[in-house]
Amino acid sequence: MKETQPEPQGIDRRTFLKTTAAAGAAAAITGFPAVVRSQPKEIIIGSNQPVTGPLPDIGIAMQRGNKLAADEINARGGIKSLGGAKIKLLLGDNEAKEEVGRTVAERQIKEGAVVLVGPFLSGVAMAVATLAEQRNIPFVIDVAALDAITAKGYKNVFRCFPKVEYFMKSLGVYLDQIIKEKKVTIKRIAVTNAGDAFGRGQAAAFVKFVKDQKLPFEIVEHIEYPLGVKDLSAEVTKIKAAKPDVLFPVSRPGDAKLLIRELYKQRVELMGIISPGSPGWYEPEFVRDMDKLAYYVLDNVPWVNPKSPVFKEADKQFQKQYPGKYLDTNSGYAYLGVLVIADALERAKSTDPAALREALRKTNFKENPMVGGPVVFDEKGDNINATAAMVQVLPDPKIDDRVKVVLPKEAAEAPYVFPWRQLWDRG
Amino acid sequence: MDLTLVLQLALQGFLMGGVYSLIALGLSLIFGVMKVINFAHGEMMVFAMFLSITVLLGWGVDPYLSLVAVAAFMFGIGYLVQRVFVNRILDLPEAMQVLVLVGLAIIFENGTLMIWGGSDISPKTSLALSALRWGGITVDVPRLIAFVLAIIITLAVLVFLKKTTIGKAIRAAADNRYGALIIGTHINRLYGICFGIGAACVGAAGALLVPLMPAKATMGAPYTMISFVIVILGGMGSLIGALAGGLIIGVAESLGTVFLPSSMKQMVSFTIMVVILLLRPQGLFGAKS
Repeated sequence: MKETQPEPQGIDRRTFLKTTAAAGAAAAITGFPAVVRSQPKEIIIGSNQPVTGPLPDIGIAMQRGNKLAADEINARGGIKSLGGAKIKLLLGDNEAKEEVGRTVAERQIKEGAVVLVGPFLSGVAMAVATLAEQRNIPFVIDVAALDAITAKGYKNVFRCFPKVEYFMKSLGVYLDQIIKEKKVTIKRIAVTNAGDAFGRGQAAAFVKFVKDQKLPFEIVEHIEYPLGVKDLSAEVTKIKAAKPDVLFPVSRPGDAKLLIRELYKQRVELMGIISPGSPGWYEPEFVRDMDKLAYYVLDNVPWVNPKSPVFKEADKQFQKQYPGKYLDTNSGYAYLGVLVIADALERAKSTDPAALREALRKTNFKENPMVGGPVVFDEKGDNINATAAMVQVLPDPKIDDRVKVVLPKEAAEAPYVFPWRQLWDRG
Repeated sequence: MDLTLVLQLALQGFLMGGVYSLIALGLSLIFGVMKVINFAHGEMMVFAMFLSITVLLGWGVDPYLSLVAVAAFMFGIGYLVQRVFVNRILDLPEAMQVLVLVGLAIIFENGTLMIWGGSDISPKTSLALSALRWGGITVDVPRLIAFVLAIIITLAVLVFLKKTTIGKAIRAAADNRYGALIIGTHINRLYGICFGIGAACVGAAGALLVPLMPAKATMGAPYTMISFVIVILGGMGSLIGALAGGLIIGVAESLGTVFLPSSMKQMVSFTIMVVILLLRPQGLFGAKS
């Protein structure tokens, strides 16, 4: 079509667009980097947690733990040895799936992450660990317990959480103490576990532990069910038929709720539940939703140290930001994970992977909010001072205060109850 | 083998099967009439679960009472979904229909995530923990109620389709779409109603499940899957088939745990499905095409 209108006098749309685009491009090339340069650098950390999928409560709590530490460090002036550089967390959701976890980590590295933290699930940890090794990026595991993750001796993998072997060591001590102090005989036991990598590994380690230590327990039933199971009535019926004295479950929050409700409804008589170490029994959601049914379950878990000032301050902040929630095993270790990274960055004075790795290897982090000594990594990257405490949910009018450390005695907040009061006998 | 154990497992499975039947009924109805498979079925159920939890937490109304309102709301959603999306794809090749419905499933799941978050919620309901005991057998009360209501709803839908004018028109449309059009049936509205009923069934099932299990936004897919298995077992489009199939799968899954590890429980239902596909591809109650 022919142009019939006369040329306009002022600036027409095309000229306007051309000039502004050119100006914008010029600003982008010359102007903005100057502004960025004048500010302290950002250090990108990739957080990789199961925020959706079958373990959302844990994933959300852990993401919040990571965030709490990053915010706190930034509020204190960032990483001082790097000119007050601020930490920027990239929040990734691994949906509790190995392949998604790996993709998330890959994306975070592409977006400039210099170190990775996460991921709660042992299966995901293995997937991310191989990637971290391949890309030569340090990976600090906050929570994930399976021994196999660090067994290969990866250079870039560090784990704050105790490995399964340490769980069993502490469980042995506590079980022995409970049996002696309460003068009880436990003969028949049942074991249950969720069918993911950690669930299987932890339950197998427990069964092996019972056999190796020649404990006088007969395992009368061992049940595995898939992660994210929606009905455990048949499983509990089988447990009831096996007539165990004590149930040793390796669970997750959803199935712990199903399990305890079914045990109640089917009136399964037990001396108690002792978890060899697994989530499900102490999270704020479980304690709130299950109320009296949550009482008296003993869980051998790495726990927050109620006497640590670092914990007290962090927990106060956490409860302020998220009313009704508190720092527990997972959110506590997630918090610790980022603190350990910040400590290493401070000493490395660099974000270079080799320097950061060296600094992590020399970690001796004393401000530990969790039960156990300072964080020190061995040659495989395992935290040698990580351990578990025995916690128990005990009656308390304030729901947030119901989870108590009961063993070891030096950290105990309350005496433990064993055998428990039957589930239907609690008024 | 312990007889009480077997009886107990069979009973639990049977009661759960009633709820499975109700879920599958919706899927079967929609397929029978429109020949589309509602891939968003499980996700719609989870959406309804959260609706009924919201009503419970907000106004303290028990899921059994809010069931009617939730089902009615889901009917509306089902009607809209049919008129806006599904109605446009009825004549398209199956692969293209699948895309739209899987897309809807993703929208429902992520909508639920956006509104209610990813956390799993199991609010206290009045009867959640009650059980009847009879000899060595325990009858879980919420499961019994879910079963009874699910069967009542299923029968009501069957009667509706057999006796009412709209029901008859729906069946006519399912039987011969062009024939129904020729005699002046308002076929689009019928399809909308039919999808609405399907959604209402699955919505009611969602409300019935609230006292039984923690609700989570991402738990829908396995329910879509299990309803497929049931519908294939009972016969695609057969409503009696959905009822029978649900009960069979419920009992089979539960009894399967006697001799199989729990984590392989689903193998039982899929094995049944494969056997049925081999021996009687039209399903137990399906008509030969």
